Amino acid sequence: MGGKTKLENGVSELYLSYGGLITPLGDTVTENFENMRSGKSGVQKVSESGFNKEDWPLGKITSLTSENRYTEILEKICDALIENVGNEVLSNERTLIIISSTKADITALPSDTFTSTRAILKKKLNPAHAPLIISNACISGVMAINTAADYIIADKYDTVITIGIDGLSDFIVYGFQSLFALSDQSSKPFDKNRTGISIGEAAGAIVVSNKKPENGAFCVNYLGGSSSNDANHISGPSRTGEGLFRSINKTAERSNIDIQDIDFISAHGTGTLYNDEMESIAFDRLNLNSVPVNSLKGYFGHTLGAAGIIEVISTMLMMEHGLLLKSPGFEEQGTTKKINVLSENLEKEIQLALKTASGFGGGNASLILKKSL
Amino acid sequence: MKILVSCKISDQGVYLNGEIQQKYAKETDNWKKDIYSKLELDYPKFYKMDALAKMAFIGFELMESVCSFEHFEDNDVSLLFANRNSSYDTDLRFIESYTEKGSPGPSLFVYTLPNILTGELAIRKKWFGENIFFIQENFDAEFFIDQINFYFRKGSKACLCGWVDSANDKEECFLFVVENTEGEITPEELTKYYKQ
Repeated sequence: MGGKTKLENGVSELYLSYGGLITPLGDTVTENFENMRSGKSGVQKVSESGFNKEDWPLGKITSLTSENRYTEILEKICDALIENVGNEVLSNERTLIIISSTKADITALPSDTFTSTRAILKKKLNPAHAPLIISNACISGVMAINTAADYIIADKYDTVITIGIDGLSDFIVYGFQSLFALSDQSSKPFDKNRTGISIGEAAGAIVVSNKKPENGAFCVNYLGGSSSNDANHISGPSRTGEGLFRSINKTAERSNIDIQDIDFISAHGTGTLYNDEMESIAFDRLNLNSVPVNSLKGYFGHTLGAAGIIEVISTMLMMEHGLLLKSPGFEEQGTTKKINVLSENLEKEIQLALKTASGFGGGNASLILKKSL
Repeated sequence: MKILVSCKISDQGVYLNGEIQQKYAKETDNWKKDIYSKLELDYPKFYKMDALAKMAFIGFELMESVCSFEHFEDNDVSLLFANRNSSYDTDLRFIESYTEKGSPGPSLFVYTLPNILTGELAIRKKWFGENIFFIQENFDAEFFIDQINFYFRKGSKACLCGWVDSANDKEECFLFVVENTEGEITPEELTKYYKQ
């Protein structure tokens, strides 16, 4: 098996470790994993959440107490970072923070929607540098990790904290409702009877670093990543999976691995007819049909700018525990290209994991993780 | 690296490679449509775009009117964009659609993401390269140069970069293409083009 990274500037390895995880399934990384392992879902019907007072199933964090959901989630993930990473690293001159969010505090309109994010980070984490914000639809989270790697490889920083976050809002729910993209039951990615997305809210944080965590905490190696545009449609997935196909190829090449050595795929899997079909076509074109794959959207809902980060954290948990989590809502093959979607949890050691994401604007992104020795 | 071409559209007018273009003078508030007409393009999708995507499209077409990108293959060009206000104008219009106009408008909602404009450019050129969109407080030349270096290190032959912003009747459009060749670009040089 390959896996030797082509990293430069004396940076021979890049490591990812847990920073925090706030989702409808819990406020810690461990709590989330236990709930996923036991098959719980954070997606529940929320009364009168639709534009016409429909009760849409949503991944809503029920423990939030304040009026501003986004702000509270952001404060919680900052607290988790202080606990898990510590102030010394967070405010270090050689540390950068990257935020991944599609809408940040959309309820602040007509004031600036990203101002509060900068202010809260400054107050809570006291970083040495202004945070970088990536807003690239649903691939933002994966791109934040890829960008973190860029900065460390270029020796600009030793540590980059990536935070993916989005909160529930009428804006987002009404928007996806207007596109007829919401599912009236909890979303069923890759299933024959899937009808759409369940939107969710979450925040996740990953520490990307050129060294292993000093406290001996679990970490994985980051091997490489990339993005590719479909160059096809601004809101509809490519019918050939072209952008995703190209991104996975590019990521595998940068990671110096053989695609056939991939042990597990954490797919995007939104639960819409066309997205999941597109992903199955891309995986089929890469002969990845037999590789175990899941979508985690059935646990958390589709958390947009948070999705890439929280799904990489979940992938790391699966690598740590040697347990592949089932893809909630999947019962029967529902894509024209057959892929190996996990209908039950499966004990299996993962050496190489592929994470993919696709989103509006025709964006696709991917990255490859390797179990650390 | 070398700047192949740049386009700045300011209140004063259109600058290409630092030279003001009388032909594309901004004569009305409808300047995006005016310039689109003067460019004699046949691309009906333009009319469906929001203001942000229209600006990026116009800026790109103006650059292409004086510079050929045909020697780049479809994976060669990375799109690196940033702005201050994300999709501010369209966000407000989308909210208005469901608070005042009866129901949420799907065609508006799709444009409530700033990176839709990079998608529009990728579709226009059939470019499958990398795309990324950042939200920043101000145009930061050093930041762009860092990003360009990252993407060149990863194999891009060129970067199409842009700062395209629209909020509270203030519009900014600055696009430039950098090729992966010998040479340096200084932040001062880039900032000079941006400030026109």
